[in-house]
Order: sequence, then structure tokens, then C-alpha cells
Amino acid sequence: MSQLNIENVTLTFGGVNALSGVSLHVPEHEIVSIIGPNGAGKTSLLNCISGFYHPTKGSIRFGEHELGRAAPNVVTGFGIARAFQNLELFRGLTVVENLLLARHTHIKYSLLSGAIFYGKASRIEAENRAYVERIIDFMELQAYRRAPVGTLSYGVQKRVEVARALTLQPQLLLLDEPMAGMNVEEKEDMVRFILDIREEQGVTVVLIEHDLGVVMDISDRVYVLDFGVRIAGGTPAEVSADPRVIEAYTGVGSGHDASDPASSDQASSDQASAGQVTA
Amino acid sequence: MPATRMSQTGNYKTTYRQDQGIFANRKELIWIVLLLVALLLAPLITPRTMLRDFDLIMIFGIAALGLNITTGYTGLINMGQGAFMGVGAYAGVVAANAFNLNLFFALLFGGLSAALIGGIVGLPSLRLKHLYLAVATLAFQEIFTWGVGHSRLLAQGGAIPAPAVSIFGFRDSFLTHNLFWYYLILPILAFLVLVWRNVLRGKHGRSLIAIRDNDRAAAAMGINPATAKLTSFMLGSFYAGVAGVLLAYFSKSVVIEDYGLDVGIKVLAMTIVGGLGSIPGSVFGPAFIIGLDRVMEQVANWLGGLNLFPSGVDVATALRPLSFGLAIMLFLMFQPHGLASWWDKLRQYVTRWPYKS
Repeated sequence: MSQLNIENVTLTFGGVNALSGVSLHVPEHEIVSIIGPNGAGKTSLLNCISGFYHPTKGSIRFGEHELGRAAPNVVTGFGIARAFQNLELFRGLTVVENLLLARHTHIKYSLLSGAIFYGKASRIEAENRAYVERIIDFMELQAYRRAPVGTLSYGVQKRVEVARALTLQPQLLLLDEPMAGMNVEEKEDMVRFILDIREEQGVTVVLIEHDLGVVMDISDRVYVLDFGVRIAGGTPAEVSADPRVIEAYTGVGSGHDASDPASSDQASSDQASAGQVTA
Repeated sequence: MPATRMSQTGNYKTTYRQDQGIFANRKELIWIVLLLVALLLAPLITPRTMLRDFDLIMIFGIAALGLNITTGYTGLINMGQGAFMGVGAYAGVVAANAFNLNLFFALLFGGLSAALIGGIVGLPSLRLKHLYLAVATLAFQEIFTWGVGHSRLLAQGGAIPAPAVSIFGFRDSFLTHNLFWYYLILPILAFLVLVWRNVLRGKHGRSLIAIRDNDRAAAAMGINPATAKLTSFMLGSFYAGVAGVLLAYFSKSVVIEDYGLDVGIKVLAMTIVGGLGSIPGSVFGPAFIIGLDRVMEQVANWLGGLNLFPSGVDVATALRPLSFGLAIMLFLMFQPHGLASWWDKLRQYVTRWPYKS
């Protein structure tokens, strides 16, 4: 039994199937990537796991918890953390405050001791601040501690987003395109962080990423979605050799009509990355 | 807000506990102590009529701080703060009359009753956002006014006298009324400010700000949005309730006119003029609005003396709402962050002088 088991999940928005009958399994301590063309349903699947959407059919089990109907804050309580694709930071707050917010479920005192503050609340806050500092060291954010997040550059904000998810002390970390819009150097840093998160914190990682070079390098397992259907799954080598994957990415193959404008559009934009599949 | 201030020179903190402190450095602490001493000595040099305005500023300061918790820090618009003050006032005074409670229990009871009602009125906030929520709170205000007006128990909105107060042998008398209440309200305001400041540096205060800034991300942090929003409503109406009881005792009776929709809007205006999400702004706002009222009275007196208008036209009744509306409009247009942002700029200027900020 894997840590996260997704069975036959279907997600319908008024007649449109964002996901149809998707099943996938994430074993503990692995880095599992979900890839697929734009609109394939990757983020929808992540939203189903983290409780922002509830699947129409199927089940999502995390350990002994069923996530199908759980609210986002409940899912977080089970030990699943998420970094968003479009930065969802608290822009007016500093880096430290953003990370302290991620300690919310670990900080336990009543509103009354919060109002008195001195004593219990102060001690617990200081302990959690120390934990936040460990994450700041780990993610190399020391220089930005007290800067309001909104003033930081895009690459650093992405790193804060991952750091904040990590501060939740999760067992499973969902990363939605953590490297989008980054240059090569920043991507290398982020890959190093992801590998370290797995090695040092023992966290399972589910990664959505468009850079197939990165995905094939660091993943233990890759799943491919296309039009809401899981079309392949396995080790990076198996997946990049799969003819259906090549077809989904390049449009070249038996299934699609090459003159279909929609699919040829997709093909041209994904040509570059598809080159990396075969490389 | 101090939370987003960069640390400045003169910061020699070495532990996380020190970093939790309210003041950035010792200089700030000294300034606050000096301010408190100045406030304690202020009645010695202020005329007694002006002292009455000081009392009102502090009472509305508590109500505005409460509204700031709900609207400024959590982003939930509440137009019914007047009604929450009313719930506190009626509950506190009626209970004090019935059970012979002293002022502090009346304050506590009034505050807690308002918090309870606030929790119930806050329920729509779990579904409604922004203007829709504002309309829901508006509905509560109307229900409250109507309900009190039709209730025999509450004298159908007529005056219910508040019991006389005596504390540590000091009595509220005709000559010392304003002075007596000045020294009573000041510590209550200071205490409530300290309580909110404490909540703000812990997990509860942070979670409210998180809900305001990004409720999706807040939920992903494990914060229950429902709990946070209801906590915010309950805290905000607790402060309103305390302010309501104080206003009732200060004016020696509860009358429905003191807790109508116009009061709620006035408190909202005070909060906006003072600066949403700012503690000093919660006192600047009431000071500005009440001060504006007094200035307009003077202007009206002067204009009346010029005999420009036919006799029987009261210039003050026209000028007061006019200036009030104009002030809010100008603030929203040119200074949406309120007086508090001027205060911050002034402080930075003084701190950095003679360097440019």
C-alpha cells in the first residue's frame, strides 16, 4: 500500500470532464512527477488532493485518511502541504511571518493565553520561531527574513512558497510548477532543494513540472496526463519511451488528425520540450 | 504596522523572546511611557468641556479598534458596529440594574453578550464576501433597532437609566463627571489595546491577517477560515460591547438613538479615516471625526453671526454632515491608508533626521 492512493478519480465541471478515471499511487519517500500538456488536468488533480476541489467520483486515500470530501485546512492537518503554481503568499507580511503562519497547526494555545501572551504563548511562539529559522537556513532565505514578501523577486518568492509548505512539517509535499519562469541557475537551486527535502526531511514529493529534463532527472516515477486521462505511468525511462506520451506531446502518431488546428498548435509549442523526452 | 518594519539600528536582540517584544527598541518604550504620563496629566490643563470630547474619543476609540479587528485586520466589512455597541449597552445596563452588578462586571457582561451576538451575526461571513456581507450586517443593524423599539423590556428604545458608579471611594458627581470618566476609560482603553496587541503577535492575530490577505493560502496553512472569521467577529463585537456599556454609563442612560445605523457608519468612517489595520489609527480616527464636529460648530457659530442666512436656519445641522461626508471622500481619494500612514511617515522622519527618509 502506497502512502497516497488515488483510485478512479473523476472531476466534472458541468459536463466537462477535467479528470476521468485517474488512478495513481505515490509510495513513501519517492519523488513522483505528474506531467502533461497544458490543460491536461494536473493542477485539478492537485486541487483534489489538497481539498480545494472534491472529486465527483473515486477515492483519494492518504494513509488511513479519506481526502475526497475534506476541506483544505483538514487535509493540511493530515500532513499534506502544498506550494501553489501562481504565488499565493501573504504579500504584506514578512518572510518570517509567512513561515510562522505555516506553524499554525503546530502552535497550540487558546485565545485567552494569546491575549495574556506572556508565559505559555510566548514560549510556544519562540519554539516555533526557532523551527522557522531552521527552514530559513535550509532554504537559504536568511537575507530576506524581514522583507515583506511582496517586495521580493519572483524567484525568491517561489522559494518562499516552497519554504512555507515545508514549514508545515508535512509527510507529503505537493509542488505545482516550482520552477516555472526561472532561469537555469535558479532551477538548479530548486532541484537541489527538492532533492534535499526528500533526503534530509524524509518527505514524499509530488511534483508538477513542464521542464521534462528536470522531471526525468529527479523523479522515481512519472505519470502522464492528457485531456484528464492518465495515459502512462512508470519509471522515467519507461515513460519517455511510451508511444502515447510522444503522441500527446508532439501530436505525431496514429490517433490525432494532424490537420486539427488545436492539436497542431499544441504540437508546435511543445516541440522543444518533447525533444528532451527522447534525448 | 510594526510587524512589517525592518529592524533598525539600536536593535540588539539576541533571543526570539526579545524579538517578540512590542517595541522595536528601548526608545519606543520610553516614548510610550511618556505618552501615558502626558495623558494622565492632560486633564490638569484641559478645560472641562473639552474633557468630555476626550472621553468620547476614547469610547469610540474602543469601538473603532473593535471594528478594525473585523474590518481592518480580517477584511470583513461590518456596518453594524453601532448595533453591537447597543447589544453591549443594553445587556450591561439591564443586567447591572437587575443584579446590582458593579461597573466592571457590567462591562464584562456587555462585552460577552455582544461577542455572542457577534458570533451569530458573523455566520453569514462564512458564505458572503465584501459588499454582500456589509448588507448582511446592515440587516442586523435594522433588526436590532426594530427589535429594541418594539420591546417592552427595553422601554421601547426610551431611556433606561444606568446605575451610578463609585470606584475606590470616588464618586461620579456633576462637577467631576468628565474627569471621573477620563481616568476610568483611559486604563480600559490601554488594557484593550494591550490585549489586541498581544493577540496580534500570536497565532490568532496572524491567522486573521492571513484570511484577509489570501483566504485560499490561509486554508492551505491549516487555518480554519470559519473559526478565524467568527473569532474576528466575536473579538470585534466584544470591543464594541465594552464601548457601548461605557457610552451608556457615561451618558447615564441607554437610548436607542445612540446605537443606530448612523453610529455604525460613523465608527466605520473613524476606522477608515484613522487607517484600516492600525492600532494608533483607531484613536486618530475618532479624534479627527469628533474634532471635526467641534470645529464645524465653531464655524457655524461664526457664520451664524454674519447673518448670511435667514433666521431659523441652523447652519451647524447643515455643516456637520456636509463636512463629515467631505472628509471621508477626501480621505478615500487621497489618503486611503488614513491618518496612521501620516503618523508612520512622521515617525520615520523623526527617527532618521537629519538624514532623508
